[in-house]
Amino acid sequence: MAIIETLFFTVVDRGKANAVLHKAQECGAKGGTILLGEGTVQSKLLRKMGVTELHKEILVISASEELSNKLHDTLCEAFSFSKRNKGIAFTVPFKRWHKQTSGQEANTSNNSSYDDKITHYCIITVVDKGRGKECIKSAKAAGARGGTLIHARGAGIPTDFYFPLVIEPQKDVVMIITTKDKVSAIREKIFSDLDLGKAGHGILFTLPITRTSGLVENKSGECKEGTS
Amino acid sequence: MSLLFEKTKEVLRTLLPVVILVLLLCFTIVDVETDVLIRFLVGSVLLLIGLSVFLFGVDLSMHPIGEYMSQEVATSKTPIKIAILSFLLGFLITVAEPDLLILGHQIQDASGNTLKSTIIVYMVSIGVGVLILLGVFRLLRGKPSYNTFMAVIYGIIFILVFFVSEEFLAISFDASGATTGALTTPFVLAISLGLSNIKGGKNEEENSFGLVGVMSAGPILAVMLMSIISGQKNIHGDAGEYVYAEGVLGPIISKFPGILLESLIALLPITILFFFYNFIKFKIPKEELKGIIIGLLFTLLGLTVFLTAVNSGFMDMGRIIGIEIGKMSPWILIGTGFLMGLIVVLVEPAVHVLGEQIEEVTSGHIPISLIRSTLSIGVGTAIALSMVRIVIPAVKLWYFLIPGFLIAILLSFIADPVFVGIAYDAGGVASGPMTATFVLAFAQGAATIIETANVLVDGFGVIAMVAMSPVLSIMILGTIFRHKRVEYPTIAKKPAVTSHLIDEINLEHYCILVIVNRGFAEKVVDVARQSGAKGATIMRGRGTDENQKVMLPIINIELQPEKEIVWFITTTDVSAPIADSLLNDQQLEQDGEINVFISPTEAMVRTFSTIHASNDNE
Repeated sequence: MAIIETLFFTVVDRGKANAVLHKAQECGAKGGTILLGEGTVQSKLLRKMGVTELHKEILVISASEELSNKLHDTLCEAFSFSKRNKGIAFTVPFKRWHKQTSGQEANTSNNSSYDDKITHYCIITVVDKGRGKECIKSAKAAGARGGTLIHARGAGIPTDFYFPLVIEPQKDVVMIITTKDKVSAIREKIFSDLDLGKAGHGILFTLPITRTSGLVENKSGECKEGTS
Repeated sequence: MSLLFEKTKEVLRTLLPVVILVLLLCFTIVDVETDVLIRFLVGSVLLLIGLSVFLFGVDLSMHPIGEYMSQEVATSKTPIKIAILSFLLGFLITVAEPDLLILGHQIQDASGNTLKSTIIVYMVSIGVGVLILLGVFRLLRGKPSYNTFMAVIYGIIFILVFFVSEEFLAISFDASGATTGALTTPFVLAISLGLSNIKGGKNEEENSFGLVGVMSAGPILAVMLMSIISGQKNIHGDAGEYVYAEGVLGPIISKFPGILLESLIALLPITILFFFYNFIKFKIPKEELKGIIIGLLFTLLGLTVFLTAVNSGFMDMGRIIGIEIGKMSPWILIGTGFLMGLIVVLVEPAVHVLGEQIEEVTSGHIPISLIRSTLSIGVGTAIALSMVRIVIPAVKLWYFLIPGFLIAILLSFIADPVFVGIAYDAGGVASGPMTATFVLAFAQGAATIIETANVLVDGFGVIAMVAMSPVLSIMILGTIFRHKRVEYPTIAKKPAVTSHLIDEINLEHYCILVIVNRGFAEKVVDVARQSGAKGATIMRGRGTDENQKVMLPIINIELQPEKEIVWFITTTDVSAPIADSLLNDQQLEQDGEINVFISPTEAMVRTFSTIHASNDNE
């Protein structure tokens, strides 16, 4: 089978991403991009105290499938992702687009082998700033265990304020990892709860995940995000 | 694990050196009563708790309030509303600052009652209001550039310097230290961040800082003008007899209610303004509002405990150390002053807040430890020079102050633009409650022992120095930063043969993920739009690549360059043209170091594909 390019995602506590990246570079990764995000809080006590977010870092590494498997093994061991709340990692098949390739040329890979590999899905929701928590809440109601929130901005829309500002609306991007069987329930719950059907209310899409580590499956089969 | 624990750890790390230094001095060269020592230790514990809780509360309350208020300012449709609102913000936070009232009384005494303290408080507050107004207009218009703007303001200050006496020079700079208190600085930082977030664009990062710097020029101008207009030149009188507190817990408990009231008054105007706007405009969801209210309570409690600890536990200790060391050789005094400045500044609440904001804004690109060390060195030098001034009366304050600011202003034109804002902010940030109590008490202690020194004048000078030196030191760092080396080892670009693993699945949408250097996201969106993309989501991050190393000269620290990540959701028919056109753009390829990834976005788009298409314009 041809080399499959993937993007390897890890979510760890803030400050740890550099260490993870160094370890990954030892394994042969070329480089990575680090984003600042927020994880959800599981502890009820902390939530009562008003803590609703934990600082996280998200590390994205572009890697071949082989390398990303190696990364899973090494990083899991080095940072004990298997323990609760230590961090999670997952792989999303992505194709690195090069100038030389065009859409038609490379239709070579085997569809079914790829489909079989999908164990989880990553639901990504982009909503207006402030509604990210709402989104996580409704996802939780539908069975998701947690989510990671990243602040982002949308592309500019000119407005009619006194200063000719091109307002770049601030957005919350929510990543929720969930098992294959639950994905549609959560998706539809978010879709209806946040009223994404209306124009401008936000968008939602899913990415297939071929491998995860650090997600703790509990008894009810729920998928525990490492972001507690 | 928990955020509060994180803060406590952070505060502990900065507080520990201070405690160790003081204990070391106490057990070696300085003779301190047991009571004072125990009170210092109790104070340290209280400070740890108070500051952690305070920082935690600021995160929960000041941040969102600043964001909402700045949104209200920026999205106004008339200039008058922007003017009124930003003036009001500056005025209200300053007029309630307890330190300013204390300063007002000091000036009233010093001027022999010709300047009334209430007039001083209002004048300074108006000064801050006007400058915040100008700063907000500058930020939103995007011109003149920040360094020119600050150069003009300080140019005016320099002209005024010739008309005021040395005493009032010290007082006016001190007034700027007094207004940038523990509460106002985090709030103004949040406003600055909020405004720049809304404005966005290429200078977003630069705009996230600098408002504190603008604001701290207000009091300087106001006090100088008052001194000139009233014709007041000389300071009369001397500092009152200093009374040491007795006992261990007594002073702590007795100070608590008064400080609680002061903190409450300081917090009230912002809170009222926010709730007023919330009532008529924002209408924030209940849960979020609850978080803000809890945050406000934490802020109040934390601030009170912190200030009580500093006032009762640290002030006497600072003064005793000052007196004892002042008796010894001047060199020990200067050395101790340097050490004290070095470590005490890191305990300042606003320094923590600024550090956090720098991390947030630059996605970790600027190492906070670097900023902190630079601040430390700056303040350490400031205190050491202040000690020199106490020892040698011939050395005047303006010998340091004027050249310091002059060099800083010159450097601001060649320094890395992000640092210019941070540097001007740093002056206000460093001169917080720790400096105003502990370090000031130390300096005054030393001044009482050395006969040639004037307790009042030298005391004022210390804060002025602390407000100046970080501006200079961070500006120097920014100049170094500007000349960072970017190394690109030449690599043979081999066209990798990659397969499409995704094409066969019957999907209607693709997710395109683009990683570029910071500043190119807008360009990416433009190019993609021409090829048929509708909208995009942009995130900030930092990244490394083995082919690209960013190094700082002189100090040789490796940096992680900042990146922007752009997500597109497109229909299948346009995804390939978009990716191709992105990669074919010369500028993006060479300067932006673009990377494009494509993946199918599944299922959801199947279910809701028709609705989805119309929502794409996020």
